[in-house]
Amino acid sequence: MTLTIDELRVRYPGRREPALSGISLEVEPGKIAAVVGRTGAGKSTLCLAACGFVPRVVRAAVSGRVDLAGMEVTTAPLAQLAGRVGIVFSSPALQLSSSKPTVREELAFGLENLGVAREEMDGRIERALDRLGISHLAEREPLALSGGEQQRVAIASILVMGTGVLVLDEPTAQLDPQGTSDVAAVLRELAADGRSVLVAEHAPEVLAEAANCLVLDAGRQVALDRPAFALRSTILRPIGLEPPTLVTLAEAADIPANGTFDEKEIARGLGVLRGRRPVEEESPVEKTKELAFLREAAPLGIEIRDLRHSYAGAVEALRGVSLRIEPGEVVAIVGQNGSGKTTLAKHLNGLLRPDSGMVAVGGNDISGRLVSDIARDVGFVFQNPDDQLFNSRVELEVGFGPRNLRLEPKLIERLVEGALGMVGLTGEGSTNPYDLGFSLRKLVALASVVAMEPPVLVLDEPTTGQDGPGTRRVGGIVDAWGTTGRTVIAISHDMEFVARHFRRVIVMRAGEMVLDAPPERVFAYENSALLASTGLVAPPAARIAARLGLTTMPADASSLLSLLAASRAAGGSSPEADRH
Amino acid sequence: MTVRAVGYFRPGDSWLHHRHPVTKVLALGWLLLAAFLMPPLWLPALVGLLAIVSWTSGLLGQLVGSLRIPALLFASILIVNAFFFPGAREILIPLGPVGLSLEGVVFGLISAGRILVVFMASIVFLYTTLADDLLEALIAKGASHRLAFVILSAVQLVPRLQVRAGAILDAQQARGLRVTGSLMTRARAVIPLVGPIVLGSLIDVRERTFALEARAFGARHERTAYRVVADPPRDRWLRIGLLLATAALLALALGGFLR
Repeated sequence: MTLTIDELRVRYPGRREPALSGISLEVEPGKIAAVVGRTGAGKSTLCLAACGFVPRVVRAAVSGRVDLAGMEVTTAPLAQLAGRVGIVFSSPALQLSSSKPTVREELAFGLENLGVAREEMDGRIERALDRLGISHLAEREPLALSGGEQQRVAIASILVMGTGVLVLDEPTAQLDPQGTSDVAAVLRELAADGRSVLVAEHAPEVLAEAANCLVLDAGRQVALDRPAFALRSTILRPIGLEPPTLVTLAEAADIPANGTFDEKEIARGLGVLRGRRPVEEESPVEKTKELAFLREAAPLGIEIRDLRHSYAGAVEALRGVSLRIEPGEVVAIVGQNGSGKTTLAKHLNGLLRPDSGMVAVGGNDISGRLVSDIARDVGFVFQNPDDQLFNSRVELEVGFGPRNLRLEPKLIERLVEGALGMVGLTGEGSTNPYDLGFSLRKLVALASVVAMEPPVLVLDEPTTGQDGPGTRRVGGIVDAWGTTGRTVIAISHDMEFVARHFRRVIVMRAGEMVLDAPPERVFAYENSALLASTGLVAPPAARIAARLGLTTMPADASSLLSLLAASRAAGGSSPEADRH
Repeated sequence: MTVRAVGYFRPGDSWLHHRHPVTKVLALGWLLLAAFLMPPLWLPALVGLLAIVSWTSGLLGQLVGSLRIPALLFASILIVNAFFFPGAREILIPLGPVGLSLEGVVFGLISAGRILVVFMASIVFLYTTLADDLLEALIAKGASHRLAFVILSAVQLVPRLQVRAGAILDAQQARGLRVTGSLMTRARAVIPLVGPIVLGSLIDVRERTFALEARAFGARHERTAYRVVADPPRDRWLRIGLLLATAALLALALGGFLR
């Protein structure tokens, strides 16, 4: 089935600016169409309109057409749309029915609602499970699966309904790198089956599979072309986005369009380039120098000795972790969903208590202290901002922590102002946090912890939901925090973010630390098998560098290019693009 | 880390797990009526019956463990009634204007006993009945599937809220909020916890709506069922027995024979 979007305009009630203004796009069978843009550019609105959720579920004024095999999607009732076009969201846990005891029954739920005969169900379920490669999960409990597995169950639960057009809104946002490549592979196979796929996404693995790519800015089309062209820096930079690392490198090496995401091609192209031409390009990293509002504080380190923890009735989540973090270190914790990262982090401020072992902050065991007291020393920013935001104004929210510490009103005012400036929300003090989008709410949550001036800052997945500029801002804060002599510990799935901003990387697998080294070593070629065993892949620039036989590991495109330029000064060597 | 939100169901293979959900609903109804209609001297027998039922289905330990939740309630009912029973005549231990009265102790024991039976019966029901089985059974017995889904959501609401409340409590303590200590401290701690629960639940509802729409929930009136809920022949007899017992109980109560 072909999905044709024609001159689509959408405006939400109470908004002056339209969410989409005159978007046209054709999603053909066998093809993947990708949508790219900054937060708030209209990607989600396009996805919701493509499957009829706008305006049927989410009220909005709609003009233009969304045509699915002769049917007008924007006015069709659910009964007609169901089974033809389906949508998958970024949070798998929320789109599962969360009442079904097994994956098999989760898939049956949609069939029951369509009134499919009982005899037909098992066959359809088997085929959908097989298609997604999750037959072995059929009898497992959906809520006990890893994020990547859940997302595949979610896709299967839509697919089983016979959907010919699949719409996905940021399907990899909460997945580890392995989960992301799994979803990319699944989408490629579904398109090969003859389905039409529309996906809002920023993961390069998924974009590489797209036949064409729509770039949106403030509801308008900026480009509609093959990814190799639509994702070029000349198109993305003006709207504040950075091209994916591979595209930047392919541009630098003059790789033809069909090789844009082919790492071997890129390595070969860059190898020829080596020593020929110095590259001076420096990507615009926002450095936050606005931490002057923080008062001096004695730096604190952390010591963890043989830490063990089990959740009731579950396997051991931490199986003997020992670790020393010196004052002022900037440390990332990585590993696949369920490897124990968050469990470890929650021991640092006493939210979880060890079954055995010891946690000390600044040399003192924290086992006797209340969480609210440890909060002076260790600030913890949660993954989901909505678990903590409750005030009607941003400034009250950010001042909540300092007030709990009973600081002076004058000082609180200064801290709130400073923290808001740091996250770029100066002037939003009197806004209701829930009027801000998810990514900005996340920055409010970050500011509300920073305003407490903790010597140790713990961040749980600080970049999920952030677009390119948002991620750079968070990175800038991490850098700046480190320069004030304070300690940062962050959990992240974003390997490029980790490689850019952290000097020490701890790799977790099944409740144990399997590697603890600087990013250059962690992401070196020798460790790729170890990383893969916990769902990780080195960032793209590091993979290309490994192919080129470089001994230094670059974090991103610009550092790889400067490395190559410098290798001429060092005398250079022959290209080694065929090493693997 | 996994979060279970499928309710209080404890998977098992006991005789009680194998009963049809509607049979268990009837039994639960009879027990609730009995707790309030039968003479108070029967309360120990009802508690004993529930203990035997949970013991034979391997749930006695978990049931006793769960009693610590209402323990405070039982204690306060006992104490308040024992000391403040209005118009009490037989004062056992006088304490100024109030005193420990015999009537108060008896009344407190009866009230606490009734609540204990209600609590135990409900917990045993929730432990052994999968919400989904209940849903399908109700639809099969003629309930509308939308209504059944509302009931299912209500059953799931409490555990979902518990999970969320836990996360919110963590987040606020991590910003220095004291949740233990004096009554005043605790009272002040409530607002930062309630706000996100309410707001979060609203966001949750929106996302749940998306999830259900995406799965064609409510698209058609004729819905089919995948799950087959076992209904052994002896359950039919049990249900008839329970209906008769309920009718008998009501008749005796209305006839004034249970005073």
